Amino acid sequence: MKKIFAIVLTLALILSCGAFAEGTIKIAVAGPMTGDNAEYGIGFANAAKLMASEWNANGGVTVGDETYTVEIVEYDDKSDSDEAAIIAENIVSDEDIWGVIGHFASGICMVAAPTYQDAEYVNISPTSSHADYSGIGDYIFRNNTVITVETRTGAEMAVNDLGGQAIGVLSIDSEWGQSAGNAMEANIQDIGGNFVLRQEVSTDAVDFATEIANFKAAGCDVIMVAGMYGTLAPFAVACNNSDYDVKLVGCSNAYTNNLIEIAGEAAEGIYAPVSFFAGSTDERIQAYVAAYTEAYGSAPSALTTQAYDSTGILLEAIVRAGKLDREAIKDAMYETEYDGMSGYTTFDEIGDAQKVFTKIMVKDGAFTLAEF
Amino acid sequence: MAYALIAVGYSMVFGVLRLINFSHSAVYAFGAYMVYFFVSLNFGLLPAVIIAVVLSGLLALTIDKVALEPLRKKKSIPIATLITTIGMSFIIQNVLSIEYVFGSEKRSFPSMNLFGNISIGNITIQSSQIIMLFVAVILLLILTFLVQKTKIGLAMRATEQNTKAANLMGINVNFVISFTFFIGGACAAIAGALIGGYYQVISPTMGSTIGLKAFAAAVVGGIGILHGSVVGGLVVGVAECLAAQYLGSNVRDPMAFVILILILIIKPTGLFGKKGVTKV
Repeated sequence: MKKIFAIVLTLALILSCGAFAEGTIKIAVAGPMTGDNAEYGIGFANAAKLMASEWNANGGVTVGDETYTVEIVEYDDKSDSDEAAIIAENIVSDEDIWGVIGHFASGICMVAAPTYQDAEYVNISPTSSHADYSGIGDYIFRNNTVITVETRTGAEMAVNDLGGQAIGVLSIDSEWGQSAGNAMEANIQDIGGNFVLRQEVSTDAVDFATEIANFKAAGCDVIMVAGMYGTLAPFAVACNNSDYDVKLVGCSNAYTNNLIEIAGEAAEGIYAPVSFFAGSTDERIQAYVAAYTEAYGSAPSALTTQAYDSTGILLEAIVRAGKLDREAIKDAMYETEYDGMSGYTTFDEIGDAQKVFTKIMVKDGAFTLAEF
Repeated sequence: MAYALIAVGYSMVFGVLRLINFSHSAVYAFGAYMVYFFVSLNFGLLPAVIIAVVLSGLLALTIDKVALEPLRKKKSIPIATLITTIGMSFIIQNVLSIEYVFGSEKRSFPSMNLFGNISIGNITIQSSQIIMLFVAVILLLILTFLVQKTKIGLAMRATEQNTKAANLMGINVNFVISFTFFIGGACAAIAGALIGGYYQVISPTMGSTIGLKAFAAAVVGGIGILHGSVVGGLVVGVAECLAAQYLGSNVRDPMAFVILILILIIKPTGLFGKKGVTKV
């Protein structure tokens, strides 16, 4: 019995080696492909595929002496923790996968990350901004800044650029929403702004009547919103409908076309800090935006671009590692100096990326550089 | 007011069939999507609403014919019918979520704020809220008239009291039940159009939370009693706002159910409930 088992295992090993010989490196992209945050997950997959096709067109990935083609495998976590845990197990059971780009929301990322860490799979989240995420382990990276850096730029807009006299914070009751809300409060006070009121709503809330009444009563003239477009858009509509003249400052996730589609006119004058802006005049960015638009029909968002860069960072690390070895790839990740579309990226010792933010706003139904 | 609009539909079907129709909330979402669909085809708001109301009525009728009538014929236990309606609501919700149907993302919905806002002192009331109030009251009056004063209403009440006897008296019970479902579905679509127009955002799962709360409202008012469900809706809505204001936004969602439990303990038949009504 033992012998048969040994033979089967050996065969399995030979077969899996056979898979390498065919010359593909698989990269998993995990994110919400359906559901409320689907635009983000689909953006991840599109961006990763675009990056992979660019590498493949240039002859593939050279690791040591061998050349491989890159294959992107999609996984749908439905923005659901249970689903993410299952997917993470699926991914680490596939030996041909050499890295994971993904999971969108911080809470979801933090459910999946320990699995990747234990199995020694390099995991880069293009979006997670929760302070504790990258501390989960040395295989866990993010190509996004922590929420305190991002909300700092938002708070600067609220306090200095928009001159808010009384600033409110609306946050969703998710893991990310709470930490983002706290960061906003701290940053507003740190810059010397007058923070007056914090309100919390559930993630799928569309009724903001009470919150708006409270913000009005507190005299808020600027509100910072720690929520996805699914919260920011209906909130903007509700403010508009109740004749509440208030300026809204979102997070970098506000930079998606869905915000304008859902909120329509109410989206006018929403401000947000972003690490990447498709309207930039930089030639490389223009070329990238053109390539993405040609492939998928719309311009890439900031978070999509961070996924695009994440894929590039991972592939470069694999090349630098010089062999298909998980630990070597991880070590190579820390040597990253990547001049991508979402800025020049390096990783600090816990795997956090450092970036600079641009201020943008919605004007005449489109995103433009912010004017105050 | 939103809860009252949906609660009326729950009560309508329960009043005749003694059946809690949980697919109501999915029909409500379906109604909102139909309005969205026909408005995007440039039908204009009012025609779109009318078409959506008819289609949703037909959907509710289909649910009854496909899933519930066979169960009735087999005289299955009431709980089976109840679970079936929950199943139907999931089916409808998920069909709406399919990428090629409407997709699972939130969509922008045309505003029902037709006459601007009205300001009284510090308070701003949107005309869409007033429209909701008017429609709920008018709907209540029409339905009460329908049930109490018309021939079909008489047949409905007869069916409610004793299906077999009603059948023997020459009432086409199946038609009465289908008609009730049609009316229930139409109510759901009206609610979907108005509430969608108030928030201006719709999603396939828009009915799930609000539907449960509306059900709580219907029970609070005494399920099966039409004016009770409107009052129950108001009670739940006001309690939620007060809770959010004084206890924090986090207690808003549980509030409807806290009231539900309190009512069930203190007055199990609901505010307007009659004694001796059998509950599911």
